Formats: sequence, structure tokens, C-alpha cells
Amino acid sequence: MVALLVCAGPARADEPVASSQELGAALGVEAGGRTSPGGFHLLADYLYQLSDQDWFDSGLSITIGGGAAGCFRDRDDDFRCDEGIARGFAAEGFAGVRRFFPGQGVFAPYARAALGARLVSFRGDDVTGFALPVQLGGGIRARVASGIAVIGGSELRIGVGWFDREVGTEPQIGFAVHAGVEFAL
Amino acid sequence: MSRVVVALVAVLAACSVSSDVSREIGARCDDQDECDDRCLTGARFPDGMCSRSCDDNSDCPDGASCANLAGGSCLYACTADPGCKFLGDGWQCVAEAERGGDPDSTVMVCAAPP
Repeated sequence: MVALLVCAGPARADEPVASSQELGAALGVEAGGRTSPGGFHLLADYLYQLSDQDWFDSGLSITIGGGAAGCFRDRDDDFRCDEGIARGFAAEGFAGVRRFFPGQGVFAPYARAALGARLVSFRGDDVTGFALPVQLGGGIRARVASGIAVIGGSELRIGVGWFDREVGTEPQIGFAVHAGVEFAL
Repeated sequence: MSRVVVALVAVLAACSVSSDVSREIGARCDDQDECDDRCLTGARFPDGMCSRSCDDNSDCPDGASCANLAGGSCLYACTADPGCKFLGDGWQCVAEAERGGDPDSTVMVCAAPP
């Protein structure tokens, strides 16, 4: 990806996008904690241009972390979980909007906001749940060839989750960074 | 950007479970599956307690000492009974033989009196 960026030739600042529809894939890491999953983060998204600046951004992502147990009973016999920064599994569908801002050369910064729905599992504790996180983030996209762009971005997930066993309702917070490629359709 | 990352890490850390006990040591238990290492049960450990096996104090986490109980167990270090109150009824600060120390050395740890 670095090589692609280095080799990218000059481009007009007004072309952060290449097509009205695009497909992307990215790989990164997500940091969780408590009952928020963390680990390797893979995502695939579909982008549809809404206006000069705004794109509909939807897709699927999975987060794969370690499987060690993290739940325990405290001295009051309450069931609590502290899964650490990179444990658990999550499969998520999301939809939102990505807004591009004026950039420089091949680079175009963007901000995005999306709503996700994710199934969360911590197999070490046999705990599963459903979460609704809001994704807030941004990044930089660089067009490296006709119809091909690379991106680097990050996002914060904040929401609420509902879990089985005795865990109940839990806040969800995570932070992910990723890099990937997007192709014009 | 680095400040943002530091702030987010701080938020994540703040969201972790704040507890005096953990699966490593202190959590209530009935069997080993509930702990990282072992579950101490019996009259000396009311309601059960997760602990770690040890051969000397260096095997124990901060705030714990290696007592010669149950073949060597990390137990919360203490100086007086109130220091063991968070573990519940029956726990007191008692002197036990130190595992891995001098033959006559003792450690003050939380357990039920014999």
C-alpha cells in the first residue's frame, strides 16, 4: 500500500472519488474491553455516491480476538466480565454516510458516521449478545490508479449491548484502525 | 492525533471492570473453571476464592503473598482484619507459614482462621 501511494502520480484535487459505486475491503485491528470485542478487524463495504461530497457507506465486518475466559463472580456473587482489549468475536452489518472534504493531490480526507448491528460472542465464557454501536470516524483516501484507491482510517464505536447468562445490558466502546483498497464498479 | 489516541485508550481503560477481585485472584468460585488457575475451597476460604499456585512470593501478583496453604497459594496480603473485609464474612487477617521462605517465616494473609 505504501508503494502504491509512493508510485501514485499527481492527480487533481477535485477527484477524491472515481465512480458512483465502489467496493472496498480493509484489514485492521480493533481494541475493545469489558464486553466489547477486540482483535483483528476485517471489513468489506459498498459505496454509493449520493452527492459531490457524500457517499452511502454500508457493509459487513468481523472482529476476531482471543478466546480466553474473562468473566468471574465478584465477592457479592455478581457475574462480571472483563474480556480485555482483544478478545471475542463480532460480526457486524453497518450503514451510514461518508463525507469527503477537499484534499490535496491524490489525497482526500473523509469523515464517516454509521449505525451498526453486531452479534458478539465470547466463547471462553460462553457469553453471546447483540449490540447496536454507532460508528464515528474518518480517514484519508488516496487515488492511486484509475478506479483504484487506498484508504487508511479509524473509527470509534459507542453503543449498547445485550448479553445472555447474567451479563445483561452493557455499554459498548471500541476503537478500530484499518487500511484497505477500494475499487470502482 | 496522538492525543486523541491517548484519550481513547484512557476511555477504554476506564470502561474496564473496576473490581478488587479477578479470575486470577479473589473472585468467588466453586470450581477451577471459574478461575485462571485454581479455586480454593473449604473452611479456610469462605465462598471459595480464585488463586494462583506459587512456590514463593515472586509467583504472586502485587498485593498477594505465597502462603503454605493448599500446596502453596497466593493470598491477599494484609496487616489487620479490616484489610480482608472486602472478601466477605469469615475472612480475617491471619499469620500463615510462608511458602518458599525461611522455615520459620510467616506471612500475613487473608483467610479464615483454622
